[in-house]
Amino acid sequence: MTPATTDGAGEKWNLKLYTAGQSPKSLAALDNLKRVCEQHLAGRYSIEVIDLLKNPRLAKDDQIVAIPTLVRKLPEPLRRIVGDLSDTERTLVGLQLTQRK
Amino acid sequence: MEQETFEKELAELRERLEEAEDVRRAITRGEVDAFVIGPGGSGRVLLLANAYQRYRQLVERMSQGAVTSTGEGHILFANQRFSDMLGIPLAQLYTAPLESYVPVGDRARLSTFLMVSARDSRIEVELSRRDGTTIPVRLSLASFADGYASLLITDLRPMQWPNLALDALDSIRRSLEGLNRDLAGDGRARDALRNISDEINGLARMIDEMLDVEGRKPSSA
Repeated sequence: MTPATTDGAGEKWNLKLYTAGQSPKSLAALDNLKRVCEQHLAGRYSIEVIDLLKNPRLAKDDQIVAIPTLVRKLPEPLRRIVGDLSDTERTLVGLQLTQRK
Repeated sequence: MEQETFEKELAELRERLEEAEDVRRAITRGEVDAFVIGPGGSGRVLLLANAYQRYRQLVERMSQGAVTSTGEGHILFANQRFSDMLGIPLAQLYTAPLESYVPVGDRARLSTFLMVSARDSRIEVELSRRDGTTIPVRLSLASFADGYASLLITDLRPMQWPNLALDALDSIRRSLEGLNRDLAGDGRARDALRNISDEINGLARMIDEMLDVEGRKPSSA
């Protein structure tokens, strides 16, 4: 299946990253996410970091089972990407910023 | 209509399958290090490395600020104490450049420190608080691994010294408790440890009383 890209120029991107404090994968995910956003969404994104070690109940909101998990809230539809986002290609596909090859 | 419903259900199932496959792939590639367990995903977080949980508790309890940043100085993690020092909500600190909380005059030194921190492991700078005031702090490099720097931030205002002393005593007390358990069968060692413990408790009381007399318990900010 080849998803359509959601480039949405000018559209505000609202991203939530669910982390477990400063666990190695959580740190890597935030670092990788920041880099991807700066390269592809500069000036039109916001990242909210949800530390589930502090408040695990918030996992229910987006049905989080593994950490780290990135959730794209806006633009719709909602998308989830599990993992440390080290695979940039997969992250871009998951966010629908590029098409699957 | 039936065909439309069927296609909608099929699309939903395909999406759920893709999500499950995504979780499986991330786990097998070692890209996750924690899980949410419990009914409806509302339970607790299970970390794959238990040792990290203890480290985490220590970081949250200590009176020093703690920050993990990228080599370029972008904040990836900060503890509540660091947030209190700046007077800025924790949520706003993620991904922010550390240098934006340091006066312009200190930024070049901070940048150099982050670049060569393996050699030069501490630096004293001012931190700019949200209310416009600054506080002197010492940044110490706790570790540098995987391209990330873990920094400890010590408030150098004199009123924080008793806090630091109490922290140090608390740390010694915990170590002694561990030793006491390990040496349970050695009476002389236990007596020696008890004496040291008494002296530490005495010192802690003295510091507490000094603070009470001066009427200035250390503030949390």
